[in-house]
Amino acid sequence: MNAGSNARNRADVANDSLQAELAALLAGCARREQPALAKLYELSSAKLFGVALRIVRRDDWAEDVLQECYLRIWNHAADYRPGLGAPMTWMTSIVRNRCLDWLRRPSFEVPDEDGAFAAAAPSEEPGPLTLLERSGEAAGIARCLQGLEPRQRQAIMLAFYDGMSHSELAAHLREPLGTVKTWVRRGLLRLKACLEQT
Amino acid sequence: MNFRDKPELHERLAAEYALGTLRGRARQRFERWMREDAAIAQAVARWQARVAPMAEAVAPVTPPRRVWHAIEQRIGSRSNESGKSGFWDNLAFWRALGLTATGSAAALLAAGVLLAPRAPEPAPAPVVLRVPAEGMPNAYLAVLSDPKSQKPVLVVSAGVKSDQLWIKTLDPSIHVPDKSLELWALPTGQAPKSLGLVTASGKAALKLVAAADQSLGDIPALAVSLEPRGGSPTGAPTGPVLFSGPCIKYW
Repeated sequence: MNAGSNARNRADVANDSLQAELAALLAGCARREQPALAKLYELSSAKLFGVALRIVRRDDWAEDVLQECYLRIWNHAADYRPGLGAPMTWMTSIVRNRCLDWLRRPSFEVPDEDGAFAAAAPSEEPGPLTLLERSGEAAGIARCLQGLEPRQRQAIMLAFYDGMSHSELAAHLREPLGTVKTWVRRGLLRLKACLEQT
Repeated sequence: MNFRDKPELHERLAAEYALGTLRGRARQRFERWMREDAAIAQAVARWQARVAPMAEAVAPVTPPRRVWHAIEQRIGSRSNESGKSGFWDNLAFWRALGLTATGSAAALLAAGVLLAPRAPEPAPAPVVLRVPAEGMPNAYLAVLSDPKSQKPVLVVSAGVKSDQLWIKTLDPSIHVPDKSLELWALPTGQAPKSLGLVTASGKAALKLVAAADQSLGDIPALAVSLEPRGGSPTGAPTGPVLFSGPCIKYW
Protein backbone atom coordinates (compact mmCIF):
# COMPACT_ATOMS: atom_id res chain seq x y z
CA MET A 1 0.00 0.00 0.00
CA ASN A 2 1.51 3.33 -0.97
CA ALA A 3 1.56 6.60 0.96
CA GLY A 4 -1.16 8.15 -1.21
CA SER A 5 -3.72 5.50 -0.44
CA ASN A 6 -2.79 5.62 3.26
CA ALA A 7 -3.53 9.34 3.21
CA ARG A 8 -6.78 8.67 1.44
CA ASN A 9 -7.74 6.05 4.03
CA ARG A 10 -7.09 8.53 6.80
CA ALA A 11 -9.26 11.09 5.02
CA ASP A 12 -11.99 8.47 4.68
CA VAL A 13 -11.86 7.65 8.37
CA ALA A 14 -11.98 11.35 9.33
CA ASN A 15 -14.85 11.95 6.95
CA ASP A 16 -16.76 8.91 8.20
CA SER A 17 -16.50 10.07 11.78
CA LEU A 18 -17.60 13.61 10.81
CA GLN A 19 -20.57 12.22 8.91
CA ALA A 20 -21.49 9.99 11.85
CA GLU A 21 -21.35 12.99 14.16
CA LEU A 22 -23.46 15.07 11.79
CA ALA A 23 -26.03 12.25 11.56
CA ALA A 24 -26.22 12.09 15.37
CA LEU A 25 -26.68 15.87 15.50
CA LEU A 26 -29.46 15.73 12.91
CA ALA A 27 -31.17 13.14 15.11
CA GLY A 28 -30.80 15.60 18.02
CA CYS A 29 -32.38 18.35 15.90
CA ALA A 30 -35.27 16.01 15.12
CA ARG A 31 -35.77 15.76 18.92
CA ARG A 32 -35.77 19.59 19.06
CA GLU A 33 -32.49 19.80 20.96
CA GLN A 34 -31.10 23.26 20.28
CA PRO A 35 -27.52 22.47 21.33
CA ALA A 36 -27.48 19.83 18.57
CA LEU A 37 -28.28 22.51 16.02
CA ALA A 38 -25.61 24.80 17.46
CA LYS A 39 -22.99 22.07 17.09
CA LEU A 40 -24.25 21.13 13.62
CA TYR A 41 -23.94 24.76 12.59
CA GLU A 42 -20.44 24.97 14.03
CA LEU A 43 -19.32 21.91 12.06
CA SER A 44 -21.01 22.61 8.74
CA SER A 45 -21.78 26.32 8.30
CA ALA A 46 -18.45 27.40 6.79
CA LYS A 47 -18.67 24.75 4.09
CA LEU A 48 -22.30 25.51 3.30
CA PHE A 49 -21.72 29.27 3.36
CA GLY A 50 -18.88 28.80 0.87
CA VAL A 51 -21.21 26.86 -1.43
CA ALA A 52 -23.97 29.49 -1.18
CA LEU A 53 -21.60 32.42 -1.64
CA ARG A 54 -20.16 30.88 -4.77
CA ILE A 55 -23.63 30.54 -6.34
CA VAL A 56 -25.48 33.68 -5.27
CA ARG A 57 -22.33 35.84 -5.25
CA ARG A 58 -23.44 38.35 -2.68
CA ASP A 59 -22.63 38.15 1.02
CA ASP A 60 -26.03 39.38 2.17
CA TRP A 61 -27.91 36.95 -0.08
CA ALA A 62 -25.71 34.06 0.96
CA GLU A 63 -26.37 34.95 4.61
CA ASP A 64 -30.13 34.91 4.01
CA VAL A 65 -29.89 31.59 2.19
CA LEU A 66 -27.81 30.10 4.99
CA GLN A 67 -30.23 31.28 7.67
CA GLU A 68 -33.21 29.84 5.82
CA CYS A 69 -31.44 26.56 5.17
CA TYR A 70 -30.55 25.97 8.81
CA LEU A 71 -34.16 26.66 9.78
CA ARG A 72 -35.19 24.19 7.10
CA ILE A 73 -32.66 21.66 8.39
CA TRP A 74 -33.97 22.19 11.94
CA ASN A 75 -37.57 21.73 10.87
CA HIS A 76 -36.94 18.79 8.55
CA ALA A 77 -34.18 16.96 10.42
CA ALA A 78 -36.65 14.16 11.13
CA ASP A 79 -36.97 13.62 7.36
CA TYR A 80 -33.29 12.89 6.93
CA ARG A 81 -32.67 9.25 6.01
CA PRO A 82 -29.15 7.83 5.89
CA GLY A 83 -30.27 5.99 2.75
CA LEU A 84 -30.56 9.38 1.00
CA GLY A 85 -26.83 9.95 1.32
CA ALA A 86 -24.39 11.34 3.88
CA PRO A 87 -25.64 14.22 6.06
CA MET A 88 -23.33 16.70 4.35
CA THR A 89 -24.70 15.62 0.94
CA TRP A 90 -28.23 16.16 2.18
CA MET A 91 -27.46 19.59 3.63
CA THR A 92 -25.46 20.66 0.56
CA SER A 93 -28.45 19.75 -1.63
CA ILE A 94 -30.75 21.86 0.55
CA VAL A 95 -28.42 24.83 0.22
CA ARG A 96 -27.91 24.46 -3.53
CA ASN A 97 -31.67 24.12 -4.06
CA ARG A 98 -32.36 27.23 -2.06
CA CYS A 99 -29.68 29.13 -4.00
CA LEU A 100 -31.21 28.10 -7.32
CA ASP A 101 -34.64 29.25 -6.11
CA TRP A 102 -33.04 32.48 -5.04
CA LEU A 103 -31.58 33.06 -8.49
CA ARG A 104 -35.06 32.67 -9.96
CA ARG A 105 -36.33 35.75 -8.15
CA PRO A 106 -37.32 38.44 -10.64
CA SER A 107 -35.07 40.99 -8.97
CA PHE A 108 -32.02 38.82 -9.47
CA GLU A 109 -29.21 40.22 -11.51
CA VAL A 110 -25.81 38.67 -11.71
CA PRO A 111 -23.56 41.21 -10.03
CA ASP A 112 -20.51 40.51 -12.10
CA GLU A 113 -19.98 43.74 -13.99
CA ASP A 114 -16.23 43.49 -13.88
CA GLY A 115 -16.21 39.84 -14.84
CA ALA A 116 -14.33 38.91 -11.70
CA PHE A 117 -16.42 35.85 -11.00
CA ALA A 118 -16.34 34.64 -14.55
CA ALA A 119 -12.57 34.97 -14.49
CA ALA A 120 -12.39 32.98 -11.27
CA ALA A 121 -14.72 30.29 -12.57
CA PRO A 122 -13.28 26.88 -13.19
CA SER A 123 -11.51 26.63 -16.51
CA GLU A 124 -11.01 23.60 -18.67
CA GLU A 125 -8.00 22.75 -16.59
CA PRO A 126 -8.63 20.18 -13.89
CA GLY A 127 -6.78 22.40 -11.33
CA PRO A 128 -9.61 22.69 -8.74
CA LEU A 129 -10.06 18.95 -8.96
CA THR A 130 -6.86 18.40 -7.05
CA LEU A 131 -8.73 19.77 -4.02
CA LEU A 132 -11.41 17.17 -4.49
CA GLU A 133 -8.95 14.31 -4.60
CA ARG A 134 -7.89 14.96 -1.04
CA SER A 135 -11.31 14.08 0.23
CA GLY A 136 -12.20 10.41 0.56
CA GLU A 137 -15.83 10.88 -0.42
CA ALA A 138 -15.06 13.14 -3.36
CA ALA A 139 -12.12 11.23 -4.78
CA GLY A 140 -14.40 9.18 -7.04
CA ILE A 141 -16.14 12.17 -8.59
CA ALA A 142 -12.79 13.97 -8.98
CA ARG A 143 -11.35 11.05 -10.93
CA CYS A 144 -14.47 10.74 -13.07
CA LEU A 145 -14.59 14.47 -13.82
CA GLN A 146 -11.02 14.24 -15.04
CA GLY A 147 -12.11 11.52 -17.41
CA LEU A 148 -14.60 13.81 -19.16
CA GLU A 149 -13.90 15.79 -22.28
CA PRO A 150 -12.69 19.24 -21.26
CA ARG A 151 -15.81 21.03 -22.55
CA GLN A 152 -18.13 18.63 -20.76
CA ARG A 153 -16.17 19.00 -17.56
CA GLN A 154 -16.15 22.77 -17.78
CA ALA A 155 -19.91 22.97 -18.39
CA ILE A 156 -20.69 20.63 -15.49
CA MET A 157 -18.37 22.45 -13.10
CA LEU A 158 -19.79 25.87 -14.00
CA ALA A 159 -23.32 24.54 -13.53
CA PHE A 160 -22.50 22.96 -10.17
CA TYR A 161 -20.23 25.55 -8.60
CA ASP A 162 -21.66 28.73 -10.05
CA GLY A 163 -25.29 27.69 -10.44
CA MET A 164 -25.30 28.50 -14.16
CA SER A 165 -28.36 27.50 -16.15
CA HIS A 166 -28.08 26.11 -19.70
CA SER A 167 -28.60 29.56 -21.20
CA GLU A 168 -26.05 31.14 -18.85
CA LEU A 169 -23.58 28.42 -19.82
CA ALA A 170 -24.25 29.12 -23.48
CA ALA A 171 -23.64 32.84 -22.99
CA HIS A 172 -20.58 32.30 -20.84
CA LEU A 173 -18.98 29.72 -23.11
CA ARG A 174 -20.15 31.51 -26.29
CA GLU A 175 -21.64 28.36 -27.75
CA PRO A 176 -25.13 27.55 -29.03
CA LEU A 177 -27.62 26.48 -26.38
CA GLY A 178 -28.13 23.04 -27.96
CA THR A 179 -24.40 22.35 -27.95
CA VAL A 180 -24.07 23.22 -24.29
CA LYS A 181 -27.08 21.08 -23.36
CA THR A 182 -25.50 18.15 -25.16
CA TRP A 183 -22.19 18.60 -23.30
CA VAL A 184 -24.03 18.61 -19.98
CA ARG A 185 -26.18 15.61 -20.81
CA ARG A 186 -23.34 13.49 -22.18
CA GLY A 187 -21.05 14.58 -19.38
CA LEU A 188 -23.58 13.47 -16.76
CA LEU A 189 -24.07 10.09 -18.46
CA ARG A 190 -20.33 9.51 -18.52
CA LEU A 191 -20.00 10.54 -14.90
CA LYS A 192 -22.63 8.06 -13.88
CA ALA A 193 -21.04 5.23 -15.85
CA CYS A 194 -17.65 6.07 -14.39
CA LEU A 195 -18.92 6.28 -10.81
CA GLU A 196 -20.72 2.97 -11.15
CA GLN A 197 -17.52 1.22 -12.24
CA THR A 198 -15.93 1.93 -8.90
CA MET B 1 -47.17 13.17 -21.46
CA ASN B 2 -46.88 9.98 -19.50
CA PHE B 3 -43.67 10.70 -17.76
CA ARG B 4 -43.50 7.47 -15.80
CA ASP B 5 -43.20 5.43 -18.97
CA LYS B 6 -39.98 7.16 -19.87
CA PRO B 7 -37.31 6.01 -17.43
CA GLU B 8 -34.55 7.52 -19.57
CA LEU B 9 -36.20 10.91 -19.38
CA HIS B 10 -36.69 10.80 -15.66
CA GLU B 11 -33.11 9.74 -15.18
CA ARG B 12 -31.94 12.67 -17.28
CA LEU B 13 -34.17 15.15 -15.47
CA ALA B 14 -33.07 13.78 -12.09
CA ALA B 15 -29.46 14.33 -13.12
CA GLU B 16 -30.12 17.87 -14.31
CA TYR B 17 -32.15 18.62 -11.22
CA ALA B 18 -29.27 17.50 -8.98
CA LEU B 19 -26.70 19.39 -11.04
CA GLY B 20 -28.92 22.49 -11.04
CA THR B 21 -29.38 23.05 -14.76
CA LEU B 22 -33.07 22.15 -14.61
CA ARG B 23 -34.61 25.55 -13.89
CA GLY B 24 -37.70 27.64 -13.73
CA ARG B 25 -41.07 26.00 -14.24
CA ALA B 26 -39.55 22.72 -15.36
CA ARG B 27 -37.80 22.52 -12.00
CA GLN B 28 -41.02 23.20 -10.08
CA ARG B 29 -42.93 20.64 -12.13
CA PHE B 30 -40.22 18.08 -11.56
CA GLU B 31 -40.32 18.76 -7.81
CA ARG B 32 -44.02 17.89 -7.85
CA TRP B 33 -43.29 14.61 -9.63
CA MET B 34 -40.60 13.91 -7.08
CA ARG B 35 -43.09 14.25 -4.25
CA GLU B 36 -45.58 12.00 -5.97
CA ASP B 37 -43.28 9.29 -7.20
CA ALA B 38 -40.85 7.57 -4.85
CA ALA B 39 -38.85 6.11 -7.74
CA ILE B 40 -38.12 9.58 -9.06
CA ALA B 41 -37.26 10.84 -5.58
CA GLN B 42 -34.79 7.98 -5.26
CA ALA B 43 -33.26 8.73 -8.65
CA VAL B 44 -32.75 12.34 -7.53
CA ALA B 45 -31.26 11.22 -4.21
CA ARG B 46 -28.81 8.98 -6.08
CA TRP B 47 -27.80 11.83 -8.36
CA GLN B 48 -27.40 14.20 -5.43
CA ALA B 49 -25.17 11.67 -3.74
CA ARG B 50 -23.09 11.49 -6.95
CA VAL B 51 -22.60 15.23 -7.50
CA ALA B 52 -22.83 16.78 -4.00
CA PRO B 53 -19.30 15.63 -3.03
CA MET B 54 -18.07 18.14 -5.63
CA ALA B 55 -18.87 20.76 -2.97
CA GLU B 56 -15.81 19.46 -1.10
CA ALA B 57 -13.71 21.57 -3.44
CA VAL B 58 -15.41 24.81 -2.40
CA ALA B 59 -13.32 26.76 0.06
CA PRO B 60 -15.14 27.08 3.39
CA VAL B 61 -16.01 30.65 4.40
CA THR B 62 -16.93 31.30 8.01
CA PRO B 63 -20.26 33.14 8.00
CA PRO B 64 -20.62 36.23 10.20
CA ARG B 65 -21.87 35.60 13.76
CA ARG B 66 -25.11 37.46 13.00
CA VAL B 67 -26.34 34.54 10.86
CA TRP B 68 -26.23 32.25 13.87
CA HIS B 69 -27.79 34.94 16.09
CA ALA B 70 -30.71 35.24 13.67
CA ILE B 71 -31.18 31.46 13.50
CA GLU B 72 -31.09 31.21 17.29
CA GLN B 73 -33.63 34.00 17.60
CA ARG B 74 -35.99 32.42 15.08
CA ILE B 75 -35.79 29.03 16.78
CA GLY B 76 -36.14 30.55 20.25
CA SER B 77 -39.17 32.57 19.26
CA ARG B 78 -40.78 29.48 17.78
CA SER B 79 -40.28 27.38 20.90
CA ASN B 80 -41.80 30.01 23.17
CA GLU B 81 -44.83 31.21 21.30
CA SER B 82 -45.44 34.26 23.49
CA GLY B 83 -42.09 35.75 22.46
CA LYS B 84 -41.87 39.15 20.89
CA SER B 85 -40.59 38.43 17.44
CA GLY B 86 -40.13 40.32 14.25
CA PHE B 87 -37.75 43.10 14.95
CA TRP B 88 -34.98 41.15 16.63
CA ASP B 89 -35.28 38.09 14.41
CA ASN B 90 -34.57 40.09 11.40
CA LEU B 91 -31.28 39.29 9.72
CA ALA B 92 -31.28 42.79 8.27
CA PHE B 93 -31.04 44.03 11.83
CA TRP B 94 -28.09 41.80 12.67
CA ARG B 95 -26.56 42.85 9.40
CA ALA B 96 -27.05 46.45 10.45
CA LEU B 97 -24.53 45.68 13.17
CA GLY B 98 -22.30 46.59 10.29
CA LEU B 99 -19.01 46.08 12.01
CA THR B 100 -18.68 42.47 12.89
CA ALA B 101 -17.16 41.99 16.29
CA THR B 102 -14.35 39.67 15.32
CA GLY B 103 -12.55 41.43 12.50
CA SER B 104 -12.93 44.95 13.72
CA ALA B 105 -12.08 44.14 17.30
CA ALA B 106 -8.55 43.24 16.38
CA ALA B 107 -8.22 46.43 14.39
CA LEU B 108 -9.30 48.50 17.38
CA LEU B 109 -6.37 47.31 19.42
CA ALA B 110 -3.63 49.35 17.82
CA ALA B 111 -2.09 52.15 19.92
CA GLY B 112 -3.88 54.65 17.73
CA VAL B 113 -7.19 52.91 17.33
CA LEU B 114 -7.99 52.35 13.72
CA LEU B 115 -11.53 51.60 12.71
CA ALA B 116 -11.79 49.66 9.47
CA PRO B 117 -15.30 49.40 8.02
CA ARG B 118 -16.37 46.27 6.19
CA ALA B 119 -15.31 45.97 2.61
CA PRO B 120 -18.25 46.28 0.16
CA GLU B 121 -18.91 50.03 0.24
CA PRO B 122 -16.21 52.47 -0.81
CA ALA B 123 -14.52 53.02 2.51
CA PRO B 124 -14.60 56.45 4.13
CA ALA B 125 -11.34 57.73 5.54
CA PRO B 126 -10.31 55.67 8.57
CA VAL B 127 -11.02 57.31 11.91
CA VAL B 128 -8.17 57.47 14.34
CA LEU B 129 -9.18 57.92 17.95
CA ARG B 130 -6.48 59.58 19.97
CA VAL B 131 -5.31 57.57 22.89
CA PRO B 132 -3.22 58.85 25.81
CA ALA B 133 0.47 58.26 25.27
CA GLU B 134 0.81 56.07 28.35
CA GLY B 135 -1.67 53.64 26.82
CA MET B 136 -5.27 52.81 27.55
CA PRO B 137 -6.51 51.47 30.85
CA ASN B 138 -8.10 48.02 30.91
CA ALA B 139 -11.56 48.70 29.63
CA TYR B 140 -14.54 47.65 27.61
CA LEU B 141 -14.82 49.66 24.47
CA ALA B 142 -17.44 49.99 21.76
CA VAL B 143 -17.54 52.28 18.75
CA LEU B 144 -21.06 52.60 17.43
CA SER B 145 -21.55 53.63 13.86
CA ASP B 146 -24.25 54.40 11.39
CA PRO B 147 -24.59 51.32 9.15
CA LYS B 148 -25.46 53.46 6.13
CA SER B 149 -22.60 55.92 6.20
CA GLN B 150 -20.38 53.64 8.31
CA LYS B 151 -19.47 56.79 10.20
CA PRO B 152 -18.71 56.31 13.90
CA VAL B 153 -21.07 58.40 16.03
CA LEU B 154 -20.58 57.23 19.61
CA VAL B 155 -17.75 55.80 21.67
CA VAL B 156 -18.74 53.88 24.77
CA SER B 157 -16.21 52.77 27.35
CA ALA B 158 -15.97 51.49 30.90
CA GLY B 159 -13.07 50.44 33.12
CA VAL B 160 -13.25 46.69 33.76
CA LYS B 161 -13.78 47.13 37.52
CA SER B 162 -15.92 50.25 37.20
CA ASP B 163 -19.68 50.62 37.04
CA GLN B 164 -19.37 53.95 35.20
CA LEU B 165 -20.11 53.71 31.49
CA TRP B 166 -18.71 56.66 29.56
CA ILE B 167 -20.42 57.81 26.40
CA LYS B 168 -18.76 60.23 24.05
CA THR B 169 -20.91 61.60 21.24
CA LEU B 170 -18.79 62.13 18.13
CA ASP B 171 -21.64 63.51 16.06
CA PRO B 172 -24.02 65.84 17.95
CA SER B 173 -26.46 65.83 15.04
CA ILE B 174 -27.65 62.33 15.97
CA HIS B 175 -30.06 63.72 18.57
CA VAL B 176 -33.66 64.19 17.47
CA PRO B 177 -36.03 66.65 19.20
CA ASP B 178 -38.77 65.00 21.31
CA LYS B 179 -37.18 61.57 20.98
CA SER B 180 -34.64 59.73 23.08
CA LEU B 181 -31.73 57.56 22.04
CA GLU B 182 -31.49 54.43 24.15
CA LEU B 183 -28.36 52.34 24.48
CA TRP B 184 -28.72 48.55 24.56
CA ALA B 185 -26.43 45.66 25.38
CA LEU B 186 -27.02 42.77 22.96
CA PRO B 187 -26.23 39.52 24.74
CA THR B 188 -25.87 36.46 22.50
CA GLY B 189 -29.18 34.69 22.08
CA GLN B 190 -31.04 36.85 24.60
CA ALA B 191 -33.21 39.93 24.55
CA PRO B 192 -31.40 43.27 24.52
CA LYS B 193 -30.79 44.90 27.91
CA SER B 194 -31.16 48.63 28.34
CA LEU B 195 -28.08 50.47 29.55
CA GLY B 196 -29.80 53.86 29.67
CA LEU B 197 -30.35 56.93 27.55
CA VAL B 198 -27.74 58.73 25.50
CA THR B 199 -27.92 62.33 26.62
CA ALA B 200 -27.41 65.23 24.26
CA SER B 201 -24.24 66.44 25.96
CA GLY B 202 -20.94 65.61 24.31
CA LYS B 203 -19.73 63.34 27.08
CA ALA B 204 -21.85 61.63 29.72
CA ALA B 205 -21.73 58.72 32.14
CA LEU B 206 -24.31 56.02 32.81
CA LYS B 207 -24.33 53.80 35.84
CA LEU B 208 -24.10 50.07 35.16
CA VAL B 209 -25.97 47.64 37.39
CA ALA B 210 -22.66 45.95 38.18
CA ALA B 211 -18.98 46.45 37.38
CA ALA B 212 -18.26 46.30 33.66
CA ASP B 213 -16.65 42.87 33.95
CA GLN B 214 -20.07 41.49 34.97
CA SER B 215 -22.31 43.81 32.94
CA LEU B 216 -20.37 43.75 29.67
CA GLY B 217 -18.28 40.59 29.90
CA ASP B 218 -20.63 38.53 27.69
CA ILE B 219 -21.85 41.33 25.48
CA PRO B 220 -20.56 41.09 21.91
CA ALA B 221 -22.25 44.26 20.68
CA LEU B 222 -24.08 47.43 21.65
CA ALA B 223 -26.80 49.24 19.75
CA VAL B 224 -28.77 52.47 19.96
CA SER B 225 -32.47 52.60 19.13
CA LEU B 226 -34.75 55.58 18.61
CA GLU B 227 -37.37 55.68 21.38
CA PRO B 228 -40.13 57.94 22.62
CA ARG B 229 -38.92 60.70 24.92
CA GLY B 230 -37.80 59.18 28.21
CA GLY B 231 -36.92 55.83 26.69
CA SER B 232 -38.66 52.63 25.71
CA PRO B 233 -41.96 52.20 27.57
CA THR B 234 -41.74 48.39 27.36
CA GLY B 235 -38.20 47.60 28.46
CA ALA B 236 -37.45 46.28 24.98
CA PRO B 237 -36.45 48.34 21.95
CA THR B 238 -39.51 49.69 20.16
CA GLY B 239 -37.97 51.95 17.52
CA PRO B 240 -35.46 51.42 14.73
CA VAL B 241 -31.85 50.59 15.49
CA LEU B 242 -29.83 53.58 14.39
CA PHE B 243 -26.30 52.74 15.43
CA SER B 244 -24.43 49.70 16.52
CA GLY B 245 -20.97 48.29 16.98
CA PRO B 246 -18.96 45.49 18.56
CA CYS B 247 -18.12 45.67 22.24
CA ILE B 248 -14.63 44.46 23.03
CA LYS B 249 -12.46 44.09 26.07
CA TYR B 250 -9.17 45.87 25.87
CA TRP B 251 -6.55 44.85 28.36
